[in-house]
Amino acid sequence: MLEIKCPYCGKRSQNEFSYGGDANVKRPALGKEVSDKEWDNFVYLRKNPRGNHSELWHHVAGCRKWFKVSRDTLTHEIYNTEKLNEEF
Amino acid sequence: MQKYSIFSLIKNAFSNHENWEVAWKDPKPKKEYDVVIVGGGGHGLATAYYLAKEHKITNVAILEKGWIGGGNVGRNTTILRSNYMWDANGLFYEYGMKLWENLSQELNYNVMYSPRGIINLAHSDAQLNVYSRRGNSMRLNGIDAVMLSRDELKKMIPFADFSSSSRFPIFGGLMQPRGGTARHDAVAWGYARQADSMGVDIIQHCEVTGFDIRDGKIQGVQTSRGNIKTKKIGLCVAGSTSLLAEKLNIKLPIESHVLQACVSEPVKPFLDHVVTFGAGHFYCSQSDKGEMVMGGDLDGYNSYAQRGNLPTLQHVLSEGVAMFPNLSRLKMLRTWGGIMDMSMDGSPIIDKTHIEGVYLNCGWCYGGFKATPVSGWTFAHTIAQDRVHELNSKFRLDRFNTGHLIDEKGVGTKTWIG
Amino acid sequence: MSQKYRLDNVGYIDREKAISFKFNGKKYFGYQGDTLASALLANGIHLVGRSFKYHRPRGFIGAGTEEPNAKVQLYKDAKTEPNALATEIELVEGLVAQSQNCWPSVNFDIGAINNLLNKFFPAGFYYKTFMWPKNFWYKIYEPIIRKAAGLGVAPLKPDPDRYEHKFEHCDILIVGSGPSGLSSALAAAKNGARVILAEDKPRFGGSLLTDEVTIGNKKGKDWADDTISQLKSMPNVIVKRRSQVFGYYDHNMMVMLEKTKDHIDNPNKFIPRQKLWYIRAKEVLISTGSIERPLVFGNNDRPGIMLASAAKEYMKVYGVLIGKKPIIFTNNDSAYDCAIEFKKNGVDPLILDIRKNSDSSSVKEAKNLNINIKFSYGIANTNGYLRVKSATIGKLNGDKSGYENLENIPCDCICVSGNWTPTVHLSSQSGNRLKFDENINAFIPDKSRQNETTIGSASGKFNLKQSLEDGFNKGYEISKKITGNDIKNSPPTSNERTYKDHDKFWCMPLPKNKHYKRFVDFQNDVSVSDIELAVREGFRSIEHVKRYTTLGMATDQGKTSNLNGLQLVSNIENKIVPDVGHTTFRPPYTPITIGSIVGREVGKHYRPTRKSPMHSWHEKNNAVFVDAGLWLRPRYYKQGNENLLEASKREAANVRNNVGICDVTSLGKIDIKGSDSAEFLNRVYTNSWMKLPVGKTRYGVMLREDGIVYDDGTTTRISENHFHMTTTTAQAVNILAHLEYYLQVVWPELDVNVLSTTEQWAGAALAGPNSRDLLSKLFPNTDVSNENIPFMGFKEEDLYGVPARIFRISFSGELAYEINVESGYGIFMWEKIMELGKEINIEPYGTEALSTLRIEMGHVAGSEIDGRTIASDLSLDGMLSKKKDFIGKRSLNRKAFLSTDREKIVGVVPLDRKTMIPEGSHLVKDNNAALPNPKLGHISASCWSVEYNNPFSLAILKEGKKRIGEKLYALSPLKNISIPVEIVSSHYVDPKGERVRS
Repeated sequence: MLEIKCPYCGKRSQNEFSYGGDANVKRPALGKEVSDKEWDNFVYLRKNPRGNHSELWHHVAGCRKWFKVSRDTLTHEIYNTEKLNEEF
Repeated sequence: MQKYSIFSLIKNAFSNHENWEVAWKDPKPKKEYDVVIVGGGGHGLATAYYLAKEHKITNVAILEKGWIGGGNVGRNTTILRSNYMWDANGLFYEYGMKLWENLSQELNYNVMYSPRGIINLAHSDAQLNVYSRRGNSMRLNGIDAVMLSRDELKKMIPFADFSSSSRFPIFGGLMQPRGGTARHDAVAWGYARQADSMGVDIIQHCEVTGFDIRDGKIQGVQTSRGNIKTKKIGLCVAGSTSLLAEKLNIKLPIESHVLQACVSEPVKPFLDHVVTFGAGHFYCSQSDKGEMVMGGDLDGYNSYAQRGNLPTLQHVLSEGVAMFPNLSRLKMLRTWGGIMDMSMDGSPIIDKTHIEGVYLNCGWCYGGFKATPVSGWTFAHTIAQDRVHELNSKFRLDRFNTGHLIDEKGVGTKTWIG
Repeated sequence: MSQKYRLDNVGYIDREKAISFKFNGKKYFGYQGDTLASALLANGIHLVGRSFKYHRPRGFIGAGTEEPNAKVQLYKDAKTEPNALATEIELVEGLVAQSQNCWPSVNFDIGAINNLLNKFFPAGFYYKTFMWPKNFWYKIYEPIIRKAAGLGVAPLKPDPDRYEHKFEHCDILIVGSGPSGLSSALAAAKNGARVILAEDKPRFGGSLLTDEVTIGNKKGKDWADDTISQLKSMPNVIVKRRSQVFGYYDHNMMVMLEKTKDHIDNPNKFIPRQKLWYIRAKEVLISTGSIERPLVFGNNDRPGIMLASAAKEYMKVYGVLIGKKPIIFTNNDSAYDCAIEFKKNGVDPLILDIRKNSDSSSVKEAKNLNINIKFSYGIANTNGYLRVKSATIGKLNGDKSGYENLENIPCDCICVSGNWTPTVHLSSQSGNRLKFDENINAFIPDKSRQNETTIGSASGKFNLKQSLEDGFNKGYEISKKITGNDIKNSPPTSNERTYKDHDKFWCMPLPKNKHYKRFVDFQNDVSVSDIELAVREGFRSIEHVKRYTTLGMATDQGKTSNLNGLQLVSNIENKIVPDVGHTTFRPPYTPITIGSIVGREVGKHYRPTRKSPMHSWHEKNNAVFVDAGLWLRPRYYKQGNENLLEASKREAANVRNNVGICDVTSLGKIDIKGSDSAEFLNRVYTNSWMKLPVGKTRYGVMLREDGIVYDDGTTTRISENHFHMTTTTAQAVNILAHLEYYLQVVWPELDVNVLSTTEQWAGAALAGPNSRDLLSKLFPNTDVSNENIPFMGFKEEDLYGVPARIFRISFSGELAYEINVESGYGIFMWEKIMELGKEINIEPYGTEALSTLRIEMGHVAGSEIDGRTIASDLSLDGMLSKKKDFIGKRSLNRKAFLSTDREKIVGVVPLDRKTMIPEGSHLVKDNNAALPNPKLGHISASCWSVEYNNPFSLAILKEGKKRIGEKLYALSPLKNISIPVEIVSSHYVDPKGERVRS
C-alpha cells in the first residue's frame, strides 16, 4: 500500500486518496480556438512513462485537496509531492 | 513435426520420453524478414501463425524481449467469452469463439478449451435490465445468451450467498453457455510450436531498441541481437505499447495499469462455471487443478510493475466472499500482477499507422487473452493485405478523433476506474 | 495413551496435559505443545497423505511452513478447513483431521493406479493428448480430470468465524525470532526504537530451540527465553508469536497474519480466528532463517524420508523419535547434529556422507560417539510402499556418475540434508534483486530497494557468532539512525560446533538401466526426468520449466524444491545457476486465509448501507426497499397483497390525481459559495447561469470533456454568491470530485468553494395537483401562490419552528415542491406532512412510481444518461448554449456526434396497448430477419402509463424523432418475446409542460 504525503495533511496511506492521472494535461482555455487535433490530444492523450510520472492525487478521505505527486511507475517509489501551485 | 496424440504418448513412454523433439527451435536472427512481429506473447505468436497459415507468409520473426508467453498470456485468469453489447466487440469476439472451438485440433496442442459457461450475476432489477440489453444484443448477433432466474442460479451455484444477510442479494444472471476457459500457457506454446513448424523464427531474449524508418517507411529494427531488415512490423506488446510507440513517435490513447489476480490452494472442484459478481468487480472460476482463479479491479494508478498492493486484493476478495461466502475459509496461495494496456474507451486498437509498414495491435485492457486467436487472425490479415478486415474495422485509431468510440462500460477516459 | 516414539525427558511439550485427537477416524493421544505432525509421529505414523498426480503415499518432510506433503482436512461442515498443514496445526482437545486426496483411504488409495501408469503421464502429457474426438475434452476427459483435481474439500457454507484487521506503525519490524532476530531486537529496543518482533511458530527462538549452543553462559534456548522476557517487559516493544509476516508491499507496508484462536481449547466464540496486521515499518529486519534442501535420489519420497533438520526438531522440541533405525544422508555437516541427537537418545544412526571427508567438530563428535559414518556414499533407491523399509546405498565412483557397489540396508527413516537455502522471499518481494552465493549454492539478498536489511542465515550467514553479531550491529545502527539514541551494549559471546563446506553434489545418479523416480517437487510429483523432458522439448527458461512441469507451483510454492530444480536445469543446460535465474517470489509467503484478508467486510457489512433520516418511518409503513448505490430507498409501500406493479400504479396515479410524497434525501447536494460561483456554474453546465436571479432554480446538464452527458440536476441561487446544487444519487460522489478538480486544478483563479451537503439535508418531494393545498397547510404564514412561489422558485420558510427550504421543482411533471430541512428534523418534517396531508389522502410513493412518472414525461435518468449518450441523443439540444463555452463543448463537433443516424430518445407503445415491453429489448424492422439482425435501438425504460392506462417505454432509437409513427418490433430473444410497437414522442404526458407551471 502506497504511503503518500499530502502536502496539506502529511503522510497517509493510499486508501485515503483517489487517483487523477497525468498531471501534465492542460485544458485549453475556455473559448480559445483550438484545432481538432489539439483538442483530441487533450481529451485522449496522456503521458505513460515507465519511470518518473507526474500525476494528480485527490485526498478524498481527508482535506479534499488535489495535489501533484512525482512517482516511479516501475518501482512505485514516490520522489516528491507538491501543492498544485508549487513546482517539483 | 511430431504429431501429438495418445499413440505418440504411449510410443514415447516406451523409450522413456527421450525422443520427443523440441516444441520450437531456438534460431539465431536472420538479416532480413518479410515481417517482424515484436512481442512473443499470445497475440504475437498467433499473428505469426496466421500469417503463415492464412497468408502463406513464413519468412517471419517473432522478437521477444524475455521468454515467450511471459506477458499477459501467462498471467491472466483464462476467461473466454463474447458477451459484448456493441456489435463491433460482439461480432469480433464471436469470431474468436469459433476459432477457440477448433484450436486444440488445429494446433495439435490441447489448449483445454472448456465452454463451461460464464455467468454475470445481477443484484437489482435495474442491473438485470442492463444485462438484458446486452444479452438481447448478443442473441440478435447470433451469440448464445440466456437469462437465469434466482431459483435457477440457486441450483447451479448453491454456495453463492442467497441468504437474507446478503448486502446485495442475487436477482438473476446473464449466462453465455459457450463462454469458459482455456489453459493460458498452452495457447502460447501451441501457437509457437505450429508457427515454428511452418518456418517462423521465434527469437527469445531479443529486445527491440529502435526502428529504422526512412521516407515514412519502415526499413528495419534495431535489437539487442543486431539489426534486422524488414518491410513490415507488427507491434504486439501489450503493457509496453506506449514505450515502443514512443520510439516510433506515435502517441497513443493508452495508459499502463497493473491488474492483480490470485489463486487459492487447490480444492476438490465445486464450481464448474465462470461467475462474475455484479455488485462490484470480481470474477472467479475453478481450474482443472482445483485452484480458485480470481480477479477484479485495477490497482488504480499508472504502473509498469508486475506487482500490486494488498488493499486492492482485500477489496476484490471482499467481493468474492460477498458472492461465495465459503471462499472465506480457503487460503490464498499465489498473487501476481500484469500490465494492462488501458485504452481510453476500453476497446482495442488493431490498425495501420501513418508509417508505412508499421502495424499496431494494442489497447486490450483486461480482455486480451480471450482475443488471442481473433486478434492474431485479424492482425495477420491487416499486415498481409495492408488493410483492416471487416472484423477489426471499428478498432481503428482514428476513432478517438471521429468520436466513433466503443465504450462498453460508459466510464469515459478515466481508465483506472474501468 | 502410550506413544511409542515419544522420548521421556526431551522437548518443550507439557506431558502433564494429554490431549486426544482423531486422525482418519482413529483416536490418538498427544501432549499440549504438540503439533498434529509431532503427535502423529509420536504414535509412529508417517503416512499422512497422497501426492497430487500419482497418489503416492507420503509422509512428513519438514516440521514447519516448508512442508509439502502433510496437508490434511480439519473438522467438518462450515468449520472444515482443507489443506491445513499438519506441521503447523497445534494440537487441541477434540481435533479431527483426515487425509486428503485419497479414496477409500490413505492406506489403500484407488488413485494410486496413476503411479503404476506414471510412465504415460510425464510432464505436460495433457497438452499432447485428449484432443480427439473434438468435443470429448469438455464432455468426457475434463470432467474425469476434474474429479481427480484438488486436494482437500472446500466448505460449502459460510465461514462461522470472524477475522479482524489491525493497523500499526513501528520503527523496526523484525521478522523471525532466531538468534539474529533476537539480538537485533534487543539492540534496537534498548536504543529506544519502537520494535515489533514477529515469530511465525508457537515458540520463540528459531534454531536456538534445536541447536546445542551456548550464548553468554546460557544454553541457547535459555538465552532466547530470557531475551524474550526482557523484550516483553519493555514498553516500546511488541512481541508476537504465531504471526507470519507474509507480504512485503510498497513503501514498507508489511502484512502479518496472527493466528489467535485455533490453538486454544474451547475458545470464547467472540475471539477472532485470525488477525491481519498492516504494519508500516520505517525499517524492516529480515531474520527469516533458512530452510534445508532435500537430496534427490530414487524413490526419495517415501514416508519416513525427512529433512534432517525436521527430524532433529521433532526430537528436540517435541521429544519424538521419527524412527529407530535411521539413516542420515547428507552432503554437509549440519545433518551430523541430527545423528548425534539420535545417538544421545539411544538410537544408532548410519551416516552416509557424499563428501570424501570432513574434519569439522560435528564430524569429530559423531566419530567420538562411535556413529557409523560412510563417506563418499550415496543412496540410489529406497524400498517400502507405505513406509520406507530399506535403502539401496552404494559408494560413489570418482566422478559421481555411478556406484562402485550397491547394497540394501534396512531402515525405518532417512534424514536428508542437501545444505540450506536462505529464506529470501520478503527481501525479494521488496524488490531486492537477489545474488547467487557460490559458497552456499543459493541465492541471498543483494542491494535493498526499500528500507530493508536481511540478517542471519537468511543472508547466508550460517554460523551463530556471525548471526548474533550481525543482528546486534544492524539493530543498533538502524535504531540509532531512527531514534538518534546511542545506547550500545556488546553482542553476546557464543559457542557452537564448527561446520565445513558442503559438497555441491545433491542429485544421485541412477544405477544402470534403472528408471526410478527421483522427486524434486513432492506435492506436485515433479521428478528429475520431468525437468529433463521439459528442457529437451525446448522449455529452457526457468519460467517455462516451472509452468510446463508445475515445479514449485504447489501449496508450498517450492520452498524445498525451487533451488534444486534450478540447479538441475543449470546442470542440464551447462549454465551456472545465476544465468538460469530464478522465478519470482510473490506474496503471500505461505497460503493465507481469504477471510483474514477480507476482515469484517462480510455479509451486510460488505459495503456500508446509507439510510435517510426517514428510514424508520418507511420501515414501519411497509416500504419494500431497493438498493440505489449504497442507499436503501423505498421502492414502493405495500398495501395488502399488492405486487410491485399494482402498488406503483396506485402510487403514481395518486400523484397524477392528488398528491404524493417521496423521500429524495439520497440526491447529491453540493453547497457552492464564492464570488465566482455563477461563472463556475456557467462553465460546468451546458446552459447559461450568469443571469439566474436570487431565489430561482434552474435545470442543468453537465458533460464530460469527451462530450458525453455526465449528469443532470437543478441548482438554486440562494443568494448572490451562494448556490445549492443537486446531482443524481448515483453520481453525487463523482460530481463533487469533478467540481473540485476544475476549481483546484484547471481554474484555481475562481473564487469558489464547494462542499457536499448530501447528508446535511433531508428531502421530501410533494407532487401532484393538490400539493399547493398541502404546502399552504405546512406553511400557514406563507403565500404559496403561483406568483409568490412560481415554477423554479425558491423560498426559505419556517416549518412549524424548523427552518425549511422550499424548491418548486418537479421530476414527476406535476405541480410539485421539494422541501429540505436539516437532517435531524427529517422525520419531523415527514411526519408533519403526513399528518397535515391525511385529510386529503396523501400517499407516500417509492422509486418505482417515481420512475413511472418521469418515464411518462420523457424525463431522462440513469438508464438514458448511461455514459454513452450526448445531449442531442436525449432531446437536450436546447440545453446547449451557443453563446458560451463549457466543459465538453469542443467535443460536440466530432463526426460521429454530428451524424444524422445517431440513436435518439423516443417513446414507444405496444400496438396492442397491453403488453409491457421488457427493458433491454431491442427495436428491429423485421422480427424474423436472419442473424445478425440489425438493431435500430433499445428500450431504456418501461412503465405502465397511469395517464393512458397502457404500457409506455422510452427508447434510444436510430434517427429518433424522424421515426415517430413508424411501426417496429421490440425483440427480447432472452425472453422469447416479439412485440409490435409504434414509435411516439418521448413526451407522452403533458408535452407542453403546463402542469408544472400551474
